[in-house]
Amino acid sequence: MSQRNERSRRPDLAHWLIHQAAHRAPDPLSLRLEEEWFADLESRSATFSRLGFALGCCWATLVIVNDFPRSRVPVPSPVAPANGIVTLVERNFGYFSLRSATLFLIAGLHAALFFGLITTLSHTRSPAAPPNLQNREVTPPPRERVAFSLDASELNHWRITVPKTVVDPPVQPAIASDVIADVADKPAEVVSPPPPRETPTHVVRQLAGGPGAGFPETANFYPSPSIHLGEEGISTVRVCVDRLGRLTSEPTTVKGSGSARLDQAALKLARAGSGHYRASTEDGQPVNSCYAFGVRFQLRK
Amino acid sequence: MGKKETRVRMSLQTLRVLEAFLENPTEQLAGAEVHQRCGIASGTLYPILLRLESAGWFVSQWESVDPSSVGRPRRRLYRLTSTGLRHAGEVFASFNRGVLA
Repeated sequence: MSQRNERSRRPDLAHWLIHQAAHRAPDPLSLRLEEEWFADLESRSATFSRLGFALGCCWATLVIVNDFPRSRVPVPSPVAPANGIVTLVERNFGYFSLRSATLFLIAGLHAALFFGLITTLSHTRSPAAPPNLQNREVTPPPRERVAFSLDASELNHWRITVPKTVVDPPVQPAIASDVIADVADKPAEVVSPPPPRETPTHVVRQLAGGPGAGFPETANFYPSPSIHLGEEGISTVRVCVDRLGRLTSEPTTVKGSGSARLDQAALKLARAGSGHYRASTEDGQPVNSCYAFGVRFQLRK
Repeated sequence: MGKKETRVRMSLQTLRVLEAFLENPTEQLAGAEVHQRCGIASGTLYPILLRLESAGWFVSQWESVDPSSVGRPRRRLYRLTSTGLRHAGEVFASFNRGVLA
């Protein structure tokens, strides 16, 4: 008992917290709550328990201030006269300002986070890839290795002659009245890696083929249901073509457009174009090859 | 001040406080004793006690002891009123019927 009395006489952090909490309660309840909480605090001996109780009283004050405006205070304390409206207004304003400050702090943190994300993304954004590289897959034909047998004396006079490659520009199909259709067709040049040291240097210039002159127009193969439904997309088709530009096997879809109807139309277009393909060339000579090209179905805006 | 509002927002914690008082409706309990029986933290307990007192379900008074003789501050004791007893009984009856008023 003497120890408890000693504690009750010696203020600690819990006492200070309860005093501060009760001081912020509505005036008629302030002194009552302080005395009540001090009395209930004495039933606790552990330090953490006392601190937890005091912190709970601080929270209780916030709830009580919110729940009990001045006109609804249940039982006025006989020893706590009202100090007037000014005090209540100041305390309510203090509580309001606490909530407002919290809201402003949260809003500020969100704004700073948003600004940081925007700033960071603007610095790390990579340039967009060219559109004609997105729908094109070129499979180079197997390269034939040529074995040379030259004497060492001939190497000093050996000269590489590479025939100049003349590339015909791709033929763009005419734009239909209701659709815009084109074939992604930009020939890619593939330069073979340098041969081993033992063989003489020879650069084989390869040129991938593609739809050539007389190739059917995409607009003629645009499915009517797709036009009505507004379906658009790019279907990548792989074809195998001989030296004369004729199909040597059934074309296949490498990458769909998202619409099975458009993919089937692209295959139909690829079949119809047999004989009108440009064969791939090596050193200017047409060779059998397989390659892929994109068929774009796009409606006029 | 007009007619006292007797409606109380019921929560699980409020029900537990009422249950502690309904064990012996004539008994007076301090906040610390209610905490020991219900295990409700002080931040929740005292607003509930004040709400129930404001609604007329509880009355409170100071403990009639001399602090110097008992060696501790006097406590605030709460007791169920007849109104509170009736309303609490109705609440638990509704609760048992599956309808929480």
